[in-house]
Amino acid sequence: MIYAVAVLVPLFGSAVAGLLGRAIGDRAAQAVTILCMIVATICGETAFIQLVWGGAPTGTVRLAEWVSAGSFHVDWALRYDTLSAVMVAMVTFVATLIHIYSIGYMGHEHKPVARFFSYLSLFSFAMLMLVTANNLLQLFFGWEGVGLMSYLLIGYWYERPSACAAAIKAFVVNRIGDLFFAVGIAMVFFLFGSVSFSTIFAAVPQHLNDTYALFGTNYRALEVICILLFIGAMGKSAQIGLHVWLPDAMEGPTPVSALIHAATMVTAGVFLMARISPILEHAPVALGVITVIGASTALFAATIGCVQNDIKRVIAYSTCSQLGYMFIAAGVGAYQVSIFHLVTHAFFKALLFLSAGSVIHAMSDEQDMRRMGGLWKKIPLTYTMMWAGSLALAGIFPFAGYYSKDAILEAAFADGSPVAIYGFVCGVLAAFLTAFYSWRLLLMTFHGRSRADHHVLEHVHESPLVMTGPLIVLAVGALIAGFSLRGLFIGADWHAFWRNSVGVAPGNHILARMEEIPAWAALAPSVLALLGIALAYIMYVAVPTLPAGIAARFAPIYRFLLNKWYFDELYDAVLVRPFFALARLLWQVGDVTIIDGVPNSIAHIAEDSAEQAVKLQTGSIAVYAFSMLIGVVLLITIFLIFR
Amino acid sequence: MIMMIAFYIFAAILLGSAALVVSARNPVHSVLFLILAFFNAAGLFLLAGAEFLAMILVIVYVGAVAVLFLFVVMMLDVNFAQLREGFQRYAPIGATVGLVLFAELAMVLGGWRVAPGITALRAAPMPAGMQNTAALGDLLYTHNILLFQLAGLVLLVAMIGAIVLTHRDRRTSRRQVIARQMARSVAETLELVAAPLGAGVAPGEFRRPKPLEEAAAPHPVAPHQGEGH
Amino acid sequence: MNGSLATPEIVLALCGMGILLFGVLRRGDGGLICSMLTIGALLLAAVLVAGGAFGLAFEGQFLVDPMSVFSKFLILAAAILGVVLSLDYNAREGIGRFEFPVLMLFATLGMMVMVSAGNMMSLYLGIELQSLSIYVLAAFARDDVRSAEAGLKYFVLGALASGLLLYGITLVYGFSGSMDFAAIRQALSDPTRVSEGLIVGVVFVIAGFAFKVAAVPFHMWTPDVYEGAPSPVTAFLGTAPKVAAMVLFLRVMVGPFGHVLMQWQALIEIVSVASMILGALAAIGQSNIKRLMAYSSIGHMGYVLIGLACGNAAGLRGALVYLVVYVFMFLGTFAVILAMRRRGQAVETIADLAGLGRNDPALAMAMAVFMFSMAGIPPLSGFFGKLYVFLAAVQSGLWTLAIIGVLTSVVGAFYYLRIVKVMYFDAAREAFDRRPASLSVVAAATGLFTTFFFIAPAPVLDAAQAAARVLFG
Repeated sequence: MIYAVAVLVPLFGSAVAGLLGRAIGDRAAQAVTILCMIVATICGETAFIQLVWGGAPTGTVRLAEWVSAGSFHVDWALRYDTLSAVMVAMVTFVATLIHIYSIGYMGHEHKPVARFFSYLSLFSFAMLMLVTANNLLQLFFGWEGVGLMSYLLIGYWYERPSACAAAIKAFVVNRIGDLFFAVGIAMVFFLFGSVSFSTIFAAVPQHLNDTYALFGTNYRALEVICILLFIGAMGKSAQIGLHVWLPDAMEGPTPVSALIHAATMVTAGVFLMARISPILEHAPVALGVITVIGASTALFAATIGCVQNDIKRVIAYSTCSQLGYMFIAAGVGAYQVSIFHLVTHAFFKALLFLSAGSVIHAMSDEQDMRRMGGLWKKIPLTYTMMWAGSLALAGIFPFAGYYSKDAILEAAFADGSPVAIYGFVCGVLAAFLTAFYSWRLLLMTFHGRSRADHHVLEHVHESPLVMTGPLIVLAVGALIAGFSLRGLFIGADWHAFWRNSVGVAPGNHILARMEEIPAWAALAPSVLALLGIALAYIMYVAVPTLPAGIAARFAPIYRFLLNKWYFDELYDAVLVRPFFALARLLWQVGDVTIIDGVPNSIAHIAEDSAEQAVKLQTGSIAVYAFSMLIGVVLLITIFLIFR
Repeated sequence: MIMMIAFYIFAAILLGSAALVVSARNPVHSVLFLILAFFNAAGLFLLAGAEFLAMILVIVYVGAVAVLFLFVVMMLDVNFAQLREGFQRYAPIGATVGLVLFAELAMVLGGWRVAPGITALRAAPMPAGMQNTAALGDLLYTHNILLFQLAGLVLLVAMIGAIVLTHRDRRTSRRQVIARQMARSVAETLELVAAPLGAGVAPGEFRRPKPLEEAAAPHPVAPHQGEGH
Repeated sequence: MNGSLATPEIVLALCGMGILLFGVLRRGDGGLICSMLTIGALLLAAVLVAGGAFGLAFEGQFLVDPMSVFSKFLILAAAILGVVLSLDYNAREGIGRFEFPVLMLFATLGMMVMVSAGNMMSLYLGIELQSLSIYVLAAFARDDVRSAEAGLKYFVLGALASGLLLYGITLVYGFSGSMDFAAIRQALSDPTRVSEGLIVGVVFVIAGFAFKVAAVPFHMWTPDVYEGAPSPVTAFLGTAPKVAAMVLFLRVMVGPFGHVLMQWQALIEIVSVASMILGALAAIGQSNIKRLMAYSSIGHMGYVLIGLACGNAAGLRGALVYLVVYVFMFLGTFAVILAMRRRGQAVETIADLAGLGRNDPALAMAMAVFMFSMAGIPPLSGFFGKLYVFLAAVQSGLWTLAIIGVLTSVVGAFYYLRIVKVMYFDAAREAFDRRPASLSVVAAATGLFTTFFFIAPAPVLDAAQAAARVLFG
């Protein structure tokens, strides 16, 4: 019950703020949504605590029947197990803080912001529906809801063309992933005859050797399903190839970025992998694919992060990279570890974004780090918070990131397969780069000489308490989440904690083997992270001319990185432009002559027959009566002839 | 035997007059043939032992309905030539459709079988120990009370419909309001005029009682006065 | 005999007569008060329906089962919304007389009797009570030539259809030996007693019903009557009687004639296909929106008949769900049509809708919802209506029907979307008059139902399922 409240209350808040926002005013709308979120948080945490320590039984909360068509039955139901409860607790908590923070951040808006709060709450609700889904269809509902809300929020400042473009980009790229996801769901239904998780998972052993023939080759059906679902997850979680929307999504207000990156949306993909882990365990090829994609993303995004100048974009690429880590963990079968990282990441990424928001707020909406610097004395609290977030991101002991990121790399090393080792190497390199760009961000923003103009500098001020308060809470989380949750999530007693909510095949002992890896492998990430910090210090404080020199010396590489590996250009050249060309061709040749031609002639036929049909409609009663009689005679004749 | 002969006579006249109802040139003749048909139907009822129905048929249909028809036909100027023109126009197609239908029905009805116990039923239309009228009443008011009441409702609706569609409050129609008539005093209606001897009364000096309805409450003029249906 | 089962009908009849008396004695313009009283009476009837028990009454002539209760709710809802729609219109058009709601009440009563009929005679009387009331309603604006013509046409053709129906009933009676549904079913369970004559009777019965639901080839009256009748009457005529007639159709075909399914299935398929095709094609050329809705309703009935053609519980459920969805879409659309009024003058061509998107966004939004829903675009309710009948058709192996259904809905989408296009993209015309609150209420209620049906379709589905199951034991 509490659980259902946690999920549904944000919807109520959103409805009130969205529908009555104009009537009750901004203040009231904010109060309602935040109150609802707080209630949701309390309920969400209570449900989590009850489950983990209170010994509450797992189960489902059935809300209502949704679809019932033949053998296809779907209910609105909430799944109550550890995985969902963890996600609910995390999402409600972080989302609430972001709501509170938004009061301050959106305080300078000229337009009413009730709509903004309504969207935020609805976003949270969609994510909660997603993580508590008891079946794939409901999950898809939440999935689409999250996508829709991200579109609305990224495009919140709809007067800006760039915001609109970014919103559309996010939507379209997500849609590509969703397409595969939907096909995946269809295949699941086709194979298992149900979309309900419990039914599917129970039936997995019976379908181990089912095959799916495509283009004359047989594939194992489970592999195909997993890969399709993973492609869906790639879209949502911005993995390499489908990542292009994430940096652009920075066009939205910063709290939105924080919400997208920390608590909702991008983590949906990782969550999905954990949710379908009972299937994934039987799809080794898909797991390999996941590892490779995740590892590549981790490294690739980290390299781009090193050269970006927009403060939010740097953090955006770091999200991309961290999500890569999570997929590495999922790919080697350590789903618990990936969820662990997901949770710690939620804390420090929200912290980083909100801190960045605080900086932007202080700098009168300036986002370019090249026009910052020397701020640490003026906004010391934000500065401290940024340190905490960066330490956690870089994985420095004893911050949260240290425990979770190291666990991922340990798991990858312990797995030992070539794919996993690729993941390990990429991860370690990415750890080095992560530390480097984090401190690059810190140093460029807060240290050195100020490069901002004096108008802006005069206005620099520490943010109000509604903004710094959530920061402090998150900083505490970023500090303690690691060592306090480690024992639960990936400790020796993980079976008692997860209770079958994560499917781990009998032969999967990755968590145990993690403890047995050599010391150098365990230490490598931390050492490299420290080296990264040192390098950043050298380049941006000790020898400030060095970056420009390096950029000039390695201009091609620099440009390559600065342009994000030319992904957008590549897509433009390979997909968008040919697509437009094709579209134009289809339009001119296909559409105008053939498609229009055929339907036009069909339409002509239709219109002609319509005319004929209408022509009978003379208005004469006698004609009508005769047509009825003829109808009867015809029916009788048909019956007599064909009976 | 006599029953048989009577049956065929009644039946033959019934069919013949029914055909003449449709085909007679003069509409008044049609109605008269209709009355004849009713009489013969009543005869058939009598033969079947339903004397109450037979009487009702004569009284209601012949006495009321058919006479009403007759009035309508005689009072309304129905242009039968025009109707007939339509008849001739649609006759070929009507005949074709009718023939096909008839052929099909004839083909199908060839398979008609009489249910085993049905002759016994015909011989005893009434439950034992019950009069014809009582049996009819039992059927109507006990067994089929729902249908009876529904039929009543149908008639009520028909009545409402007739009133709604045709009744108009006309300004020219006068109502008798008895209460006002009784309450009227002499002074309201009569005026004594002293007419000088030999001069008579000049025009305009006569006063007539005002029309009551108009004086009291002028009726709104119906928007499309005179556009009948 | 258990007459208390008919309490809703009896109470409604008494209320109707009471309101009639009240209206007559009141002398003067009692249209509004009588409408209100009628709404109250219909609500009371709905409450009584909800509280009633199941069973047979009046020697099997009257029955109450989940199916009749389901359809009575739908009929009463449609009737109430119909009366609400008429409030403003009648006052403005000068036809706000008290007989109007009373006739609607009696028509509703007739429909309730229809869906509760357990005997051919009660069936026929229910139909007549309903039809006669509606003939009068269609001609209610008697000074308008089109209305009078509509009433007359409907009356004459309706009489013909009644004749066909009666002829069919007598044939069935003659060959099966009974008027009672259960007894007919019992008689037909013996294949040797199924003769050709009986099936011909069934064909005549089908013709009678097809006229009432306006299925091809017995649809000819529809466009003229829909266009000519006063708009609230059309809204009512297009919904409640259709529900009643269709439910009766379903009940009679799978009940008494259930054992001869193989004989009539093909005929229903033909009627269904012809209706879908005509509904899709003939609507294209229409410029009058009421006429367009007439063809649209013909098409919709074709889809419902797919459910009947399946002849199983799934098909019936699909048909019932479709009816629910259809009723609300149709009433909503008419709420919008009734709001089409410029300078006090009702306008009804599609071109008059131009610019509605700018002049009255809320109304345009509602109309767009109804049009998209009628076109069957997810996640609006119309999609689910089609989904369930098509699913049933596919499960029963009636691929042809499903395919034609999909094709005709594509064609149909063309003219529905054209309306949306006109509203939003055509050069704006003068704005409509302020719409009265009653229309806004109906449009909003039906619009919300249509939009959010997908969230909680379960109550409707369950009720339809229960209703459909009754007929299959």
